[in-house]
Amino acid sequence: MWKTESRGIARAEEAVKQYLPPCQIKCPINEDIQRTNVLISLLPEDINQAREGIIQISEYLYQKNPFFNLCGYICGLCELECNYKSKGGAIRRRLLKRFLSDYYTDYLNQKDEFNIVKDKENVAVIGGGPGGLMCAYALSKKGYRVTIFEASNRLGGALWLIPNYRLPEDVLKTTVNSLVRIAGIDVKFGAKLGEGKLTIERLRNEGYKAIFLAKGTPYPRVLTFDGEVVEGQDLSGVMYGHTLLYEVSHGNIGPDYFRDKKLVVIGGGNVAFDVARTSKRLGGDVTIVCLESEDKTSKDGIPADEEEITAAWEEGIRIVYSRGVRKIIGEHGKFKGIDCPKCASVFDEAGFNPKFDCSDCVDLQGELLIITVGQLADRAFLQREGLVDERGRLVVDPFTLQSLKKDSVFIGGDVRRIGFMVEAMKEGMVAAESIERFLRGMDMREGRKRDYQGYSLPFRKDYKPEIEVVWIPPEKRMHFQLFETGLTLEEARAEAKRCVTCGPCVSCKACVSIGFEKSLYAVEVDRERCSGCGLCVYACNYDAAHLTTEIEGKIVSSTDMFKCKSCGMCVVACPSDARILVDDDTEQRITKVIASL
Amino acid sequence: MNSYEPKLVCFSCKFSWGYLTDEHVLLKQIKNWVPIICSGKVDSFHILNAFKQGADGVLILGCRGGDCHYQDGNYEAKKRVHLLHRVLESYGIEKERLKIELSIDPEGSKITQLVKEMSDRLRKLGPVKKIGERAGAASTV
Repeated sequence: MWKTESRGIARAEEAVKQYLPPCQIKCPINEDIQRTNVLISLLPEDINQAREGIIQISEYLYQKNPFFNLCGYICGLCELECNYKSKGGAIRRRLLKRFLSDYYTDYLNQKDEFNIVKDKENVAVIGGGPGGLMCAYALSKKGYRVTIFEASNRLGGALWLIPNYRLPEDVLKTTVNSLVRIAGIDVKFGAKLGEGKLTIERLRNEGYKAIFLAKGTPYPRVLTFDGEVVEGQDLSGVMYGHTLLYEVSHGNIGPDYFRDKKLVVIGGGNVAFDVARTSKRLGGDVTIVCLESEDKTSKDGIPADEEEITAAWEEGIRIVYSRGVRKIIGEHGKFKGIDCPKCASVFDEAGFNPKFDCSDCVDLQGELLIITVGQLADRAFLQREGLVDERGRLVVDPFTLQSLKKDSVFIGGDVRRIGFMVEAMKEGMVAAESIERFLRGMDMREGRKRDYQGYSLPFRKDYKPEIEVVWIPPEKRMHFQLFETGLTLEEARAEAKRCVTCGPCVSCKACVSIGFEKSLYAVEVDRERCSGCGLCVYACNYDAAHLTTEIEGKIVSSTDMFKCKSCGMCVVACPSDARILVDDDTEQRITKVIASL
Repeated sequence: MNSYEPKLVCFSCKFSWGYLTDEHVLLKQIKNWVPIICSGKVDSFHILNAFKQGADGVLILGCRGGDCHYQDGNYEAKKRVHLLHRVLESYGIEKERLKIELSIDPEGSKITQLVKEMSDRLRKLGPVKKIGERAGAASTV
C-alpha cells in the first residue's frame, strides 16, 4: 500500500545513552511502538484497502518480535508507562496489536520462509518456550543452525498454561509452529535434557558449539508456612494450579469437572487468577485466598493484573486478601478446609518474608484446594549438570546470561527468574547476542549497555479518553472462548491516532518509511545571521531550540538533535532566515511552483 | 464566458490529505499544488510571495483541530491566515483569496474538489486588481 523503501528502516543508533518513548523503554524488547502506532493511524478507512497496510505493519513488527500477535492478547506492559495515562488513559497498545493479530495470524500460515544461508555453527536450544524460541529465531536469522530440544510434544512452553479464554489455542499454535518453519529451526520433540543419555556433554560431543538453556519451571512450588512445608498437601482433593492448567490445555478435563464443588485457590498472581477463572468455568464455586493486600499500590499489593482481578470479580469469584495458610485440614484422607491467619506483612527488606498475626484466624471450608503459589525449576538436573553453586543457586552472569560454570552454556527465561512472556523473550534475545559474540570471539560486554531516557507528554489543547474495552458479559462468558472483543479498524485508527508520539524521531522514522519525508532533516543555524532573538525557542514545541552564548558574548540559537522533530516551525518563525533544514526540498518546491505562476 | 483561469496555489498537510493516493497522479491533476509535511510549515513569506508573483488565491489544507502530528502546526497556520487577512486587505486584496481548511481526506479526492470550488470563487472575483484599481484600499487598515 505504501511505497516503503529500504532507507526507511527505523534503527535506533548504537549509543550508550538512548532516547526512546517511555512505552518502548518499558517494553523489555523495546518494540517500535511509536512508529507502528503512527502507521496504524494512517490506515485507510476501508478494511479491504487497509488489509495490505495491516500486513505490512505486522511484517515489520514480526522481524524483531515474532510473538507480537501473542503480546496483543496477554502483554500490554508498555501501557503501564504510557505518558497519556495521566490524561484519560494509556494508549491501548495491546489492543492495537491484537487488532493486527486478527488479520496477521492467518497470514502466518502462508508466510514464506526466510531466505537465510545457514553457514554458521550448530547451536542447541533447550526448551521451546518463548525464551528458547526467541533465541533460536534470532540466531537462525543470523545464519546459525539451531536445534530446539523440547521435552513435550508441542512448542510454546508455559504459554500453554494460559487459558484459552485469554489466548486462543489456534493463535498460539499458529504462532509457534510458523516461527520455527519461517526461520528454519529444527525441533526435536520428546527430547528431555537430563533424561537418559541426553546431557549437555553429549550435545557438545554431537557438535553443538553453544547451548541456550531455557527449560522453564516445570514443577509447582509447594505451600509453606513460616519456612515449613504445610502438611496435608497429599490429601485427596488438594492439587496444584499448574497441574490443572496443564491438564486443561491438553483437553483432559471435561466441561463440568468442578460442577457444584466448593474450591479454594491459594495465590495472588496471574496464574492463580487463571486457575480460579478456569475452575469457575468448569462449574466450581471459587474463593481465592492470597497473602497480599487489595491495594495494588502498597508494598504488599496483589501482583495479579488489574484486569484479571476485575474479570474474576465480575465472574463471581470471591477474593480473600491478606490471609495465609497455616494448616490444611483433612478428614478421612480428604480435604476439608484451611486455617488462615491474618497476614500482617508480605515483604520486608529481605524480600519475600511474610509475617502473620495468628490471633486473627479464620477457617475456610471447601471440597477442593488448588495451590498456585509459584513454580520451580528442575533443581536436580541443574545440580547434576554442575550449573549451580554450593547453595543450589544458578551461577549466571545476569548481563550476558553466560553460565559461570560452563562457558558455552547460556541460561535464561523462567528457569533463571520467573517473569512475563516478554521478559523470557528478552532473555532469549540477550542470549542470542551473547552466543554470537562467544562464537565469534568478540568481547561479551562491549557496547551492550543501554541507558534509556524517556520523554514527557507533549502538550495538547484537549485529550481524548481511551477506548473502552468490550468484554462479553460474565453470565455469557462461562466458556473457554475469547472473552474480550477486538478493535474494529475504525477504533484501531482512532486509538492509534491518540498516540501523541512523545518519543524522538530517530527511533521512529514512520514518516520516512512511508515517504512523507526523505529523511530526518537536521536544523542548521547560520551563526552570522542569528541575532539571538529567541523566537525559535518560543516556536519550538519540543524544547529543542535553545539560546547559547558563543565566543565574544554573542548569543545564538542551537538545536538539540535528540529532541528535534524536524517539523520546521523554528525555520518559519526565524525572522532573519538563519535557520534551515538541511536537505529539505520543501522550500525549493514552493519556490518552483510560485515562480511558474 | 471569458477565458480567465485563476491561479490558485494549494498547500496541503501530508498527515491528513491525500496520503493514500499516488502523489504523482494528484500532482498532474491539481495545478500549483504543494504537499507539505505540516501546514504550520507554510511561511507568511511564502503566501505573500505567491500573491506577489501573480497568484489569485492561496488555499491551505491542514489537519483537524487536535490532530496535528507536530502538536499545533495547524493552529499556527490558522493564526497566520487570520493575521494575513488583515495584511492582504490593507493592500486591497480580498481576504477570500486566502483560505485555510482543517479537515481530513486520506484519499485526496476532496483536495481536487476544494481547489475547484475556490477557483470558481476566484473566477467570480476576477484577477487581483492592480494598485491603481484598488480604490481606497489603504483606508481599510
